[in-house]
Amino acid sequence: MGLRRWLSYLVAAFSIAALTTVLKLLGAHVNATTVALVLLLDVLLIATRWGSLPALAASVLAMLCFNFFFLPPFGTFIIAAWDNWIALAAFLITAITAGQLSARAKRRAEEAEVGRREIERLYSEMQDAFKLASHAEALKQSEKLKSALLDAVTHDLRTPLTAIKASITTLLDEIRGRTKTEPLVALDAESRLEMMEVIDEESDRLNRFIGGLIELARIEAGEMQLRRRWGAIDEIISAALLRAERFTRDHNVHVVIERELPVVRVDDRAVSEVVYTLVENAAKYSPAGTSIHISAQRGGEGLIQMSVEDRGTGVPVELRDRVFDKFFRATRDGDISTHQPSGTGMGLAIAKGIVEAHDGRIWIESGADEKGTRVVFTLPIGDEDPAEMLKTSVAGNVKT
Amino acid sequence: MKENARILVVDDEPQLRRVLRTGLMSRSYDVRAAADGLTALDTFNDWHPDLVITDLAMPNMDGLELCRRLRAISQVPIIVLSAKGEEQTKVEALDIGADDFVSKPFGIDELLARVRASLRRAARPVTNGAVLTVLEAGDFRIDLESRNVTVNGREIHLTPKEFDLLTYLMKHAGKVLTHRTLLTALWGGNYVEQNEYLRVFVGNLRKKIEIDASGPRYLLTEPWVGYRFDPGA
Repeated sequence: MGLRRWLSYLVAAFSIAALTTVLKLLGAHVNATTVALVLLLDVLLIATRWGSLPALAASVLAMLCFNFFFLPPFGTFIIAAWDNWIALAAFLITAITAGQLSARAKRRAEEAEVGRREIERLYSEMQDAFKLASHAEALKQSEKLKSALLDAVTHDLRTPLTAIKASITTLLDEIRGRTKTEPLVALDAESRLEMMEVIDEESDRLNRFIGGLIELARIEAGEMQLRRRWGAIDEIISAALLRAERFTRDHNVHVVIERELPVVRVDDRAVSEVVYTLVENAAKYSPAGTSIHISAQRGGEGLIQMSVEDRGTGVPVELRDRVFDKFFRATRDGDISTHQPSGTGMGLAIAKGIVEAHDGRIWIESGADEKGTRVVFTLPIGDEDPAEMLKTSVAGNVKT
Repeated sequence: MKENARILVVDDEPQLRRVLRTGLMSRSYDVRAAADGLTALDTFNDWHPDLVITDLAMPNMDGLELCRRLRAISQVPIIVLSAKGEEQTKVEALDIGADDFVSKPFGIDELLARVRASLRRAARPVTNGAVLTVLEAGDFRIDLESRNVTVNGREIHLTPKEFDLLTYLMKHAGKVLTHRTLLTALWGGNYVEQNEYLRVFVGNLRKKIEIDASGPRYLLTEPWVGYRFDPGA
């Protein structure tokens, strides 16, 4: 820095000296005013380039040179004419003022630059901090979610276990004939059967739950392998209805499929699973004797829209998104009077996973007359490749 | 033979209601079941059960609120069914006035034992008005006037606080007493967070009443909840 400063003074002095020499050589061709202006210009340049102190030094030097070489009597520092005193003073003041001004402008610009850099730095720091904070927040949220899920999972695992444990110990107690304190009334055949039924049903429930967990984990890990092939919607629906028959015995099931519906390129088993889940839910959450409507139709550009509608109590608007969350159950049980085991809270989450893996959408709306529940989902028909479409549909026909 | 004891089972899980109904009926209890707190209150008012067994997490009024409502109208023994992860709720239920708890999953014999204990305790004659001068239960005898305490006929000497603690435990024998309940009863409401007070006094009392203070038979620890006093046969 010190070197740079000395250099600046040196350059200032040199440039004034050089200019003076050139101007002197030009001699009579230039008058005093021109000389003053040229020197002034040099002072200005020095001020802009090197700052106020070298400019000040330059202006003093320039003033001396101007006086010595260009103001009569030449070769002396004596000034004869009184108006030249004024010219010299004006020169000096202008030089100093211009130097100061331009130096100040330079300083301002530098300050502004420093300020800008500081703001930039602060901004990026802030951004980093913000990123970090939102990352931490997201982590916290996800931890919270995880523990909520864990709670739900443990509850869903422990509930059937509790029923199993209580049943089996009741049966064991009788066999061992433990009549410690109070008389044991022998279990009648019906009660014994009931305990065993509970054990059977609850083990199935545990198994279903675990199966659902695995399915969900696969969907969430993005590992769901869709085996897409061209298939007919009516086959998908009838396969689902066949499976759901034991739930829908007491309901009137109506199926309406639009005529000449194109074949769709989907994982037919997965989509059938979606329909099955929706039908099972419809049957579980609507009273016996009511009807369940299943429909399939074109739903806009390249889409098939399917829906399952029941005449049950419906899902409140505020819960319509949440029912697709895993482990969320709008009601914990089916009908209390039936011994229907309650759901796993995963069916709709899995259905949503399957539909979305097909780039479709699933949502809930009110049924006709604002009664009941209608679950609607869309599926893209699939890649429009007529040749392949023909091929597979022919192959499909041959197979059937 | 006297009338069967009536038990009201409150749980939102239909399967558990089935099992408990059968399990309890096989022991000659009369059983009714409710799926939520509101229904349970109705049944309680109509049927006047001798004991209530309730789950904690339920729709339409949870077990905690049910305990609160029941305590407002009755001294009926309440056993709560709790799961791991519901410890806080369980302690709250006991603070509110539930008598005991059973952790899920449980064997029916464990539940039956708790039911018997709670019914026994409730059946003890209530000394309304009459000034009780001697407390006797199991191996313990406390003379409240002479402050004379014997365990299995062996006289023991207690500090006044230890005496108060033992008396309180005797009066609530068999019941799970939360730290908060004991602290409030013995030191007043300002000391409810001072679990270490309690630990010290329980430790000292055990040294005097138990045969083996590190493996207590009478003054039992309920982990994270409080203590239970079993006066012995």
